[in-house]
Order: sequence, then structure tokens, then C-alpha cells
Amino acid sequence: MVRVPKFRIRGNFKRSFRVAINILIVDDSGVMRSMIIKTLRMTEVPLGNIHQAGNGQEGLDVLGEQWIDLAIVDINMPVMNGEEMIDRMQQEPEMKGIPVIVVSTEGSKARIERLEHKGAVFIHKPFSAEIVRDTINGVLGLGENDER
Amino acid sequence: MSAELEEKMSQVAIDTLEKLAFMFAFSHEGGADLPRDSTVSGSVSFTGPFSGTLAMAVSNVVLQELAANMLGLDDGDETTEDHRSDALQETMNVICGNLLPVIAGDEVVFDIGVPKVLPADQEMKKGAGIPDGLAPSAKVNLDLEEGQCVLFLFIDGEIPKGVVLP
Repeated sequence: MVRVPKFRIRGNFKRSFRVAINILIVDDSGVMRSMIIKTLRMTEVPLGNIHQAGNGQEGLDVLGEQWIDLAIVDINMPVMNGEEMIDRMQQEPEMKGIPVIVVSTEGSKARIERLEHKGAVFIHKPFSAEIVRDTINGVLGLGENDER
Repeated sequence: MSAELEEKMSQVAIDTLEKLAFMFAFSHEGGADLPRDSTVSGSVSFTGPFSGTLAMAVSNVVLQELAANMLGLDDGDETTEDHRSDALQETMNVICGNLLPVIAGDEVVFDIGVPKVLPADQEMKKGAGIPDGLAPSAKVNLDLEEGQCVLFLFIDGEIPKGVVLP
């Protein structure tokens, strides 16, 4: 499920070292994408390349061209919404294993549960850096072996 | 009903501004509407068990601060008009998305439209497509360090009985 390889460097190092994570952020608001990037940089998540897309279709295009370890997706977007993007990802063998975090204002329990059944993890807007960090760590299984 | 709605809208807006943009707002009782020549306004419509529009007007100074804080800019850094419009739209989207479940609970489903910024020379209700005779169901004035923010909630018709949380 998680495609991010982890490496532990033995010897004098106390912390584990991981390959940086390539993240795709899909949101029609450029300001919100900037906020998410700013928040990611406040966490201890090892960041690689951060790609951006303004709607679900653009997001799928990026997924088709780049190696992405995690997709952070809004729901309410023009052209193609986030739920349709997740549905399309599940139909593509090369995309269906990519973890998805939905960041949205959605308040309907039924809709949130439907997204969770599709494998997405939900973060409610407005969010804190701690929620984003903990959710990413949980989704990617990061931090589990730290400081051992 | 209006007082309850206004209390809920005030709390959601205050919470959103703080978490989204680190801006601290306080409820302001009464007060005049903001002068049109120094404000930017926008609206977002929704449909569901009841339908309506949330409209928001902020002073230019507040909007500059809102956009700069959301973007994490340093003091004195200027934002572009696109940044400010985007920040207002996203703020309305978050307030509306958080307000509706507070009013009606999380068992019901609402569809929230695309937020829009209204032309500077257009009256808010007209720009938002709100009928002339329709009065806001709730109106909230907020004071911020940088200036004022006013929110209006227009609801089409009556809210069905049993939809609103106690």
C-alpha cells in the first residue's frame, strides 16, 4: 500500500532516515495550495518534490507524468472534483495504491464516510500543522521507528 | 431564530479567521455597514435541505492582511489582486462549509457552489443574485485589529422544521 521505502542507517545515527516524499496538492485555490505547502514545511515530514494542480483532471495529468507518493486533494473543484479524481485513480493500476488525503470543508457525515470507503483519509478545513503532520505520518507509516 | 443563527455564524467566522489566517476577531453589536468604496465583497451559494447565500464584505486593509497571513508573507509584503480575491473566496468557502453543519447537523448534505468576488461598483445583493426584497436571515459584524468584516446569511424561504439543531 505504502510505496515509500524506508532506510535505517545503522551505526552512530540515532534517527531513521527516509527517502523524501513527493506530494501532489490538488486544490482550485492557489492560496490554499500555498497554505498546505507552508504547513507541510512546518512538519517534520521529509519532503521531496511538491507538485500542484488546480482541479482533478490536472491532478490526474500530474499523476500520469510524475512519481507521486501522496496526493492531498480538495473535493469541491471545477472541471473535475476530488471525488471523481479518486474514483479515476482507483481505476488505474499505477495510481490506485497512492495514498490520498482529502482536505475539505465537507461537513456531511455520509459524504465523508463515502470518501473513507474509497480509501481516503479526511482532514477538515481549517486545519492545524499538527493535524496535517499526524495524518501524513499515519497514512505513510512515518515516525513509527524513530528514536528507537 | 435570527439571534441563534447570528451567534452560530459569529462563532464559525471568528474560529475560521483565527485558524485560517491567525486573525483575531470579536463580535461587534450593531454598527453601520461598511462603506462600499473601501470594501471588497463576495458571496457563495449553497443548496440542500435549505438553500441560500453567504455574503461577506471586508475592508481593503483586512483583506490585504487576510491574504498575506494565509500565504505566510512577511510584514510589508504586498499581495496581488488575485491573491486577495482567492483568499476571500477560500475564506467564504470555509465559513460556509463549517456553518451549515453547525446549523443543520452532519446528517444532511449540502452542495456548496463556487465562491465569487463581486464587482467593486455593484451592490452586494444584486451581485450575489439575491432578490431585492429578501432580508438577511442573519447578519454579523466583526471587529478585527485591521478593520471590519461583515457577514450576511440569506436563506431562500423558510428553513424546514426539524433541520436546525437546537
